Amino acid sequence: MQITYRCGTQSFPVTLRREARGPLTVTSEAGTRAVTASLPDACTVLIVIEGRQHLAHVIRIGDATHVWIAGQVYILTPNTAADATHAGALAPPQIVAPMPGKILQVLVQPGDKVGEGDGLAIVEAMKMEHRITAAAAATVRAVHVVAGQMVDGGVVLVELDYDAQ
Amino acid sequence: MQRILIANRGEIAVRIARACRELGLTPLAVYSEADATAPHVRAADAVACIGPPPSRESYLDIDAVLNAARTLRADAVHPGYGFLAENAAFARAVTAAGMTFIGPSAEAISVMGDKTRARRTVAAAGVPVVPAVEDLPAGAAAAQTAADGLGYPLLIKAAAGGGGKGMRIVHQAGEFGAAREAAAREALSAFGDGRVFLERYFERARHVEVQVLADTHGATVHLGERECSIQRRHQKIIEETPSPGVSSALRERLISAAVAAARSVNYTSAGTVEFLVTDAGEPYFLEMNTRLQVEHPITEWVTGIDLVQAQLRIATGAPLWLTQEDIVARGHAIECRVYAEDPAQQFLPSPGRVEFLREPQGPGIRVDSGIAAGGEITVHYDPMLAKLSVWAADRDAARLRLISALRDYAVMGVTTNIAFLIDVLQHAAFASGATHTHFIEEHLQSWRPDRCEAEVAAIAAALHSMLAPAATTAGGHQRRAASPWQSLGGWRLGGGER
Repeated sequence: MQITYRCGTQSFPVTLRREARGPLTVTSEAGTRAVTASLPDACTVLIVIEGRQHLAHVIRIGDATHVWIAGQVYILTPNTAADATHAGALAPPQIVAPMPGKILQVLVQPGDKVGEGDGLAIVEAMKMEHRITAAAAATVRAVHVVAGQMVDGGVVLVELDYDAQ
Repeated sequence: MQRILIANRGEIAVRIARACRELGLTPLAVYSEADATAPHVRAADAVACIGPPPSRESYLDIDAVLNAARTLRADAVHPGYGFLAENAAFARAVTAAGMTFIGPSAEAISVMGDKTRARRTVAAAGVPVVPAVEDLPAGAAAAQTAADGLGYPLLIKAAAGGGGKGMRIVHQAGEFGAAREAAAREALSAFGDGRVFLERYFERARHVEVQVLADTHGATVHLGERECSIQRRHQKIIEETPSPGVSSALRERLISAAVAAARSVNYTSAGTVEFLVTDAGEPYFLEMNTRLQVEHPITEWVTGIDLVQAQLRIATGAPLWLTQEDIVARGHAIECRVYAEDPAQQFLPSPGRVEFLREPQGPGIRVDSGIAAGGEITVHYDPMLAKLSVWAADRDAARLRLISALRDYAVMGVTTNIAFLIDVLQHAAFASGATHTHFIEEHLQSWRPDRCEAEVAAIAAALHSMLAPAATTAGGHQRRAASPWQSLGGWRLGGGER
């Protein structure tokens, strides 16, 4: 079995192979090693690699696999060709609401020039004001919300054309 | 007093229900439509729905809460913290309805709840207060002149506020106008009162507070200090007692100021007097919280005194059963607040469903939890999942125990601050006790999770997809479905030499 996961911007290719009557081996960037694994319950994997035991909790949400190890959660997605081309991409041109909330203020209009860190809109969510800012210098292409409007998380607020650099 | 209505939700409602049971009292719960199956509802003997999810239409609705109290035949109301806990009108309404309000008098709440009245009252009792502009002129130009006169950096605070809402730091004159408007707007939306005032801001100060307990017969004792300097967005995330930065001479000053502040309003029940301690070791009164504090467990750890039980006993009119000499702090306790938020994205809340939950346990470890696996973290309420606190013989043992417990804490489905908390506690500056309210900005400004085990995580994911049946692919349902693994028992693949 061969699969490549993406975690953040990094790729992790993993090959699991069972030799005839031999041990299970795992090949990753660290090399090929013998591995022992068991599932005490449906969300738990106990792994021993080179004498070191790791306890992982694993669940799947959508097409992502969430893995907990020692207080950290790793969100792994299967690495498709499309993902690979986006991996090194710049800031997204569509600025989305980070969470559901209310638009308090829209700070820009189409055609405005903004610099890195400039405010685009102020969103109130969970009783806190969140300032949505530009990640880099850009021109505002479109504004999709007005002050007072309620928005869901992920809704596009503003679209930017980043300056060529 | 037998039937106690808990006018709150989450971990604190669960914790109060526990104290009620331990004293043979009957806990009663209220809940919004979003919380029908929440842990605090399960913890009560009788429950009532008080409205739709938004807190203004449920947990903050005085009439709805009082109607529930009458329907459930409550004798007393415990407000917890947040929501109506520091609302004098609520305390008055509870008393007028013939029930006992478990907390201080409405008058004490109202004096301490108005930051400027509180300053004047405690200053008159000899308590040192931060230089401030209490009556900020309404006009923009006049307000700017007043701010310039006080000097920068300064802090804009909501007159009716708390919990970091409606608060802004202003470093220079040019930022003041916009910050004042934003703070007033946030204060108006959070507290229904847009008035703000100004205080001098001390960059490297510690936040130190003193717990007090007072009965209805005039006796007031203190239970030592807590340091709560580790904050993000002006909200505490790590608290400890004793403070690593308080000498015994400073402790004496803090304690006598705290007791004087409490006495200045004839305080009863549990309360907390908050101070800012400058890097020169000068204490200034910040505010008095007229309620149970989020971080009360660490005081319970070192003193052995159950503060919620104490509130309940004081509310019955019992005289204090403890003298100051009876209260002896032992060892060291640290608490951290586990939030559904993303420390790598300006600590933005991370609403969603808790798909997997395993809380740590062991000697000296306490989890005050308000969530269960499958529970929904909504945008309507504070995204705190739980408080994790530990006790050990000394500070470093407590710090290491807390790190170890956090490394054993598994939450999936929502992003949490657990990995961030571990990194704060592991930081050399924290270990040495060099804590101040700007600690996170100074040491962990552009924090990212280190992902040091990402490769092992990828191997675990691959093994899981090979070994686990397809039934577990639908997120969130695997724990509720009958698990074949329980009936089969653990089995091993590739184990041994053959």
